[in-house]
Amino acid sequence: MPFAGFNMPINYKTGIINEHKNVRNHSGIFDVSHMGQILIENNESYLHKLEKYIPLQLKKLTKNRSHYSFLLNKDGGVIDDLIISNIDIKDKSYLYIVYNASRKKEDEEIFISCSPNAEKIYEKNCLFAIQGPDSINVLKNIIDIPNNMNFFDILISKYDNNEIIVSRSGYTGEDGFELSIPNESAENLINLLLKNENTMLCGLGSRDSLRLEAGLSLYGHELNEKITPIEAGLSWALDKERLEDKNLNGNKVLSDQLKNKLSNKKIGLISTSKSMLRDGMTLFDNNNNEIGKITSGCFSPNLNKSIAIGYIISEFNTDNPIFCEIRKKLELVKINNLPFVKKNYKKNGSIYE
Amino acid sequence: MGAYMSEKKYTKDHEWVSIENEIATIGISNHAQESLGDIVFIELPSVGNSVKAKDEICVVESVKAASDIYAPIDGEIIEVNNNLENDAAIINQDAENEGWIFKMKISDSNQYSELMSKDEYKQFLEQ
Repeated sequence: MPFAGFNMPINYKTGIINEHKNVRNHSGIFDVSHMGQILIENNESYLHKLEKYIPLQLKKLTKNRSHYSFLLNKDGGVIDDLIISNIDIKDKSYLYIVYNASRKKEDEEIFISCSPNAEKIYEKNCLFAIQGPDSINVLKNIIDIPNNMNFFDILISKYDNNEIIVSRSGYTGEDGFELSIPNESAENLINLLLKNENTMLCGLGSRDSLRLEAGLSLYGHELNEKITPIEAGLSWALDKERLEDKNLNGNKVLSDQLKNKLSNKKIGLISTSKSMLRDGMTLFDNNNNEIGKITSGCFSPNLNKSIAIGYIISEFNTDNPIFCEIRKKLELVKINNLPFVKKNYKKNGSIYE
Repeated sequence: MGAYMSEKKYTKDHEWVSIENEIATIGISNHAQESLGDIVFIELPSVGNSVKAKDEICVVESVKAASDIYAPIDGEIIEVNNNLENDAAIINQDAENEGWIFKMKISDSNQYSELMSKDEYKQFLEQ
């Protein structure tokens, strides 16, 4: 399937549902090399320029930790969501940023304007994720993982005499790791990991159903340039001090939104029939008034029902029934708190909790 | 499957049809099943409905997408495979036998003759 200019498998041999369950119960490997990875020197002037777009105090980022954040436009809308980490490579301090494939052009324009010598390391490094409760045991046979490594910790390790970036993270709601590794060593490492009989290659299909069950947002669905992180229910990821800083894009919009009632709210939905909820479907109240739209929907292998994330108008009282238009018929759907499936992170003070 | 079951024929919409005593049995092809991936739900047609060839009569939902199933020929829906209600994945396991979807009493057997043979369908897929 074409995806953001890449030819990507939706699933491998055994199918989306099987891959999904394997990640929840054991472990699965996702090739996410299509994503952007960039290194920006940890230099005060670069960081200051980046802070116009990124709502964090970049100078205060803890070493060897990752943070979920955004690039914001001047209205506070989300240009992209990303993971930003503070790491040292060969005694030099960097910000390592992983961002969406579909937003490379927009993001890199900003990164390069803030830091002309930013290094697009995806040109020479693959990125893949191993996800699921067995990930740690599968990976630690091959790469040194300290026992005290928590979710959203990140470090430099070695494989094949090359430095690789290892972060304890992912986008499935499970414990797991992401590895940025030179192209020439990647296949070898993946094959070693696949020797474990309970791990398998997984495609974009299960990646989507896993992140949806975990209630995680996806750019182009829950997030876009017209939605702010606050409207998307992600205000926890904003550094509140930065909202007072005029240097931050959209700071006024965002701080006003924090104080006032929003016009829309993000909700989780579960189908009451066997019909599938899908992106773009319209939601109605019991008087046939349109109250919102679904932004992502899929079949949930864990709940054996269709689940969805969407936005509805804030004034709608969620004690009242909601209907979704599925093939010209209105079907009752139930509100469900996000996430649908409990996250299973190894944690100790992660910003993600 | 009965002894008088005809040769299986195929439509360009990836349905298969076989005929026995003017009763057509219809399902989706193994190729269709493979490209849809895990099938999670099927909205079966209503028994008693009279339909024309090319009418959308039911929907198969897979984890990837919803796909319409069309009537391959004119006729009346006389039976549906109720086993699929509880376990639509039967279509993934055995699309061209146990995974049959509905039966029709057909009114024009010429329409059946015009459908593709197994070999013609195979060529059609390779195009």
